[in-house]
Amino acid sequence: MHKYRILILLFSTLFIFNASNALAKVYIDILSPSSTYFPIVIPKFKKAEGLPDKNNLAEKMSRVITDDLKFTGFFRILDPKAVDSALLDGVTKNKIKWDVLSIIGAEAIVTGRIRIKAQDQITVELRLFDSLQGKFITGKKYGGKTEDYRRIAHKFSNEIFGRLTGEISSFNTKIAFEKKIRSNKDLFLTDYDGANEKKITAYNSLTLSPAWSPDGINIAFTSYKGGNPDLYVKNIFNGNTRKISSKQGINITPAWSPDGDKIALTLSLNNGNSEIYLITVKDRKLERITNNWATDVSPTWSPDSQKIAFVSSRSGNPHIYTLDLKTRKIKRLTYTGKYNTTPSWSPDGKIIAYTGLKNSYNIYIVSTDGLQRNQLTSNQGNNEDPSWSPDSNFLAFSSDRTGQKEIFIMRADGKNQKKITSGRGNKSSPAWSPN
Amino acid sequence: MKRYLMPGVTIIFLSILLLTVSCASNKGAKQSETIATEDIQITGDQLDEEVLVESKIPTTGFIDASAMESELASIFTDISFDYDSFALKPETKAILDKISETLLNKTALQIMVEGHCDDRGTNEYNLALGQRRAESAKRYLVQLGVSPERIFTISYGEEKPLSTDQNEEAWTENRRDHFMIR
Repeated sequence: MHKYRILILLFSTLFIFNASNALAKVYIDILSPSSTYFPIVIPKFKKAEGLPDKNNLAEKMSRVITDDLKFTGFFRILDPKAVDSALLDGVTKNKIKWDVLSIIGAEAIVTGRIRIKAQDQITVELRLFDSLQGKFITGKKYGGKTEDYRRIAHKFSNEIFGRLTGEISSFNTKIAFEKKIRSNKDLFLTDYDGANEKKITAYNSLTLSPAWSPDGINIAFTSYKGGNPDLYVKNIFNGNTRKISSKQGINITPAWSPDGDKIALTLSLNNGNSEIYLITVKDRKLERITNNWATDVSPTWSPDSQKIAFVSSRSGNPHIYTLDLKTRKIKRLTYTGKYNTTPSWSPDGKIIAYTGLKNSYNIYIVSTDGLQRNQLTSNQGNNEDPSWSPDSNFLAFSSDRTGQKEIFIMRADGKNQKKITSGRGNKSSPAWSPN
Repeated sequence: MKRYLMPGVTIIFLSILLLTVSCASNKGAKQSETIATEDIQITGDQLDEEVLVESKIPTTGFIDASAMESELASIFTDISFDYDSFALKPETKAILDKISETLLNKTALQIMVEGHCDDRGTNEYNLALGQRRAESAKRYLVQLGVSPERIFTISYGEEKPLSTDQNEEAWTENRRDHFMIR
């Protein structure tokens, strides 16, 4: 493991160094709110010789990348039909008719060529060009299983976003959530855009509150499968499941520490008064970190591991507080409203998202000093349980605006709210995976 | 999803070297069009299941007291709570007084107190609130002399509503302690 990490570190450093020399141009400044939409065109990908493209993967892959970029809100996607004539001869630099592209005003173009090697094997060449200068920016050739075509497209979306903005993105991530079917709840996984939904627990019970380990391999959750609401950790790759905490009372709301060694959770033990604890994943050593007569619940870690934000009703109503793990100092963060719960600390450390009540339940964000507050959803049903994407650009949440609870994603400024789940059953408690 | 990266590391390494070399040799020359190659190897998310430890909480053998065809059904009735509160109301204390008399007479009976909430608000907070509602009833019964070993508690938060309607009547009905006996 360590060997690999060092290798990756070494070569990604090389890569970044190389990139910063040759490709330093930032096309889109995502920190400048006044920046205009970046016009880009993503024509339907070409098919190289090989087996026939029966499932129309060429079109589907260009659609995945189009949807990824569109959702960020930084791009204006130009009509791909307008550039058909520019790509008649091919997708590489010397084959593209650059004069056609300059007429339609695209600043960048993404081209792709897919080869169906076998029924279950594809190779895909993807390229990004600066179309004003006719300049090659980046290209990748991917080989993989046909069923992973969306994952390949998302990988190149990350590449495009990185080259144009200089920032990381999270197009190749998953969202875990609860789904209620009859009186049972189980956990499901979906790609961030709602594709590839998959059931990951089948306990015939109530299974709640998925939380990702920082390496994306394990999910912690609460399940009533043994009778009591106990805390478990499941490896989503090999299915191994361990019971982590089964104290009397509730064992709920897990949140993994950034180094993956501990889980913050809520226990009520034998008196019903819920407090926040830390438990070591390896040997299950418990440490209590709150001590108050009121209800304390729903911890979330600051990415530097120094603080925990949580919900407490110590002022009479539930509000968001932060706790400094070293000094044990507790600070109240929200003063507006009478019901503020489910805090989620952004991976960049700057903001805490939470659920607040004003007429209905809505998603809010507050700066970690409590000074700036913003409401992200309004007038559209009840919106709860925000969870950040690892690049801190997006939030997942649940909303009942369509009649039943579904999982939505949106930009961190509340724009582009988009439903990603469908079908029977209320869905809730989304948890966005790490990158 | 670091695991996905592992098998591809060597190939990424090679391709980055390639890119580096090609860029170096082309420095100052025309933009090169070297494509980095990357293999995607993905192990499927699996549904295999291995339960390693079983819970010791005795949740088996309890039956719904209110559904019984005996006088017990009229004794173990739900008690209700105010919004976001786990305080016992005067009228629910009368119900608990009767329950404690029954438990002190029938010393073999054990009970499970289930704390429930209406579905407004977030489930996480409601799970904590439901536990406090169950413990409120337990504490009162213990004060009246019932042994704490005979009373178990569990919170279901907003997960098991009696009514899924969205009105004051339904919410009131759902904010309750429910009793199971064995």
